[in-house]
Amino acid sequence: MTRLLVADDSETVLLMLQRRLEMEGYEVVTATDGVEALERLRELSPKEPDVILLDAMMPNKSGTEVLEEIRGKGSKIPVLMISAHLDAQEPERMRRLGANDIVPKPFEWEDLIGKIEELVTP
Amino acid sequence: MSFNPSLTARLRIGFVVLFALLLIVSLLGVGRLFQIRVHYENDITRYFQLELESERLRSAFILEQAAARPATAHQQPSQVELNQAAASFSDAASRARDLTDDDTVLVAKLNQLVASETAWRKKVAEPLIHEQVPPAPVERRLTSAVTNSGDALATDTRAARDTARDNARTDTRNTTILVAAGLGGALLAALILFSGLINSMRAPLGRLVEGARRLAGGDLRTRVEVGGPVEIATLGRAFNEMANSLERDARERDRIEQMKDDFVLTVSHELRTPVTVVKGFAEMLTAQRKSLNSRQFEAAEVIAESAGQLQKMINDLLDLARSDAGKLRIEAEPTPVRSLAQRIGRQMRPNFEGKAQSFTVSVEKDLPDIDADPGRIGQVLANLLTNANKYAPEGAQVRLAATKVGDEIEFAVSDNGPGLDGDQLEHVFDRFWRADSTETQSVGGTGLGLAIAKSLVELHGGRITANSSPGEGATFRFVLPIAKDGRPNREAPTRRTKAGAAG
Repeated sequence: MTRLLVADDSETVLLMLQRRLEMEGYEVVTATDGVEALERLRELSPKEPDVILLDAMMPNKSGTEVLEEIRGKGSKIPVLMISAHLDAQEPERMRRLGANDIVPKPFEWEDLIGKIEELVTP
Repeated sequence: MSFNPSLTARLRIGFVVLFALLLIVSLLGVGRLFQIRVHYENDITRYFQLELESERLRSAFILEQAAARPATAHQQPSQVELNQAAASFSDAASRARDLTDDDTVLVAKLNQLVASETAWRKKVAEPLIHEQVPPAPVERRLTSAVTNSGDALATDTRAARDTARDNARTDTRNTTILVAAGLGGALLAALILFSGLINSMRAPLGRLVEGARRLAGGDLRTRVEVGGPVEIATLGRAFNEMANSLERDARERDRIEQMKDDFVLTVSHELRTPVTVVKGFAEMLTAQRKSLNSRQFEAAEVIAESAGQLQKMINDLLDLARSDAGKLRIEAEPTPVRSLAQRIGRQMRPNFEGKAQSFTVSVEKDLPDIDADPGRIGQVLANLLTNANKYAPEGAQVRLAATKVGDEIEFAVSDNGPGLDGDQLEHVFDRFWRADSTETQSVGGTGLGLAIAKSLVELHGGRITANSSPGEGATFRFVLPIAKDGRPNREAPTRRTKAGAAG
């Protein structure tokens, strides 16, 4: 089963994502901030999630910081950033930091699923 | 600035100085000329009288000669007649002396005449009276001495008169030149004074004009250097106060605008999260049709649809707020026109089919790429097509065309719907504006689509226009710049076609 790690600071958004992704047939592990996301990653190891979905803006540790940290450790897990995209330069910066793809927030469900599918089956 | 009289004071001083100078020069000149004239007339009169007296001296001497040596033989020399003639000679001599006015030459000549007459009387006349004939050479010498002296006095008097006339002429000429020079000088001084006055105003006035232009041009930091006459300096200070107040107001207005923009930005942003959740869960429910009864499914569908509309509205508001705050950015890249038009066409086609409208997309062959953000221009096209779809009746025709016009690409969305009148056209790009407020219910939408389309097109450096007349449909056109290396594009498949197919 394809396992996703999803991190978003809004619990309702997180729940919605979890339920819908489960409906699509994914196994979903959730985190409400960057620190928790890294904790979940440690708990899962040595098994790794197939794709990590990170909200760019989160308290404690932002998605961007998590991305930097896991790429810093040499991890190659595909990362899909969810970004409110307030700054036009943001997507470019995230790609430089090693994000595989970016979904603008708010997202269309088909768009999100399409991008996850692309990352799961390279 | 220790001495800085006001403008009126400067003018007054200038006039008084000029008037005084002209008056003084004129009075002195005229007085001097009058004096020269009077002096000259006196001299001339005096010299004429002196000439007259020298004639009298001459005739007195002739009488003296006649008394001493009568012309006819039967007459005897007469002491009485001699004395009478000598007395009139002496009278004339004393009057002449008064008339010489101490002129040394004339006095000397007169003295010489009187002395030679005295010598003649003593050596010639007296002996003749007493019948003693003086030697002929002595008588000739003494007689001609008197005659010559008289001639010399007359000649010198005439010469003195000529000199006086020449002097008067020279003086008159010199005085005239002096007066003219004085008047010229006074006028020159006035000229310098007034041009100084004008110059003292010109620089500060020029600065004020320049400042007013800059201020009108929107540079609210404009201040002028205060200077010049009191009035101009006061004007300068008033100008600076006005600029201060304008700048203060503008800053306050900017601050309030900023607060409003930030507020809208924040609110829109915060609204998005719950709407995303509502929409997400509603969509999830509609995907579980089998486990819902028909009413529950209907409710889930309505919630999903409404949440979708709400999300669209919030996105539109956020775009406008970003645009106002100068934070709406585009990522322009060379974008092929055909694939963009076709993608949006595919995306919109179901809407047109739903109202049985005919929808055609026509793109001119071999168009160069446009310099545009494909997502944002897609949004503009979708907004225009959505409006055409909404406002044109069932069975209408809608057309999307792209052509090259000059060195730009023109997109045109036209329909044969009810169209818009002049008043409506004027407001069509305003926010929350609708062709008819009663349509709000029937047509739906946010009323922000065209305002956003305008912002986005202008952000690309393009222009958008609307053309229509009631009953003849409407055409919305916008032009975009061609990409710098915008060679005609053969429409090689791009990475965006996948997204288009999914849309």
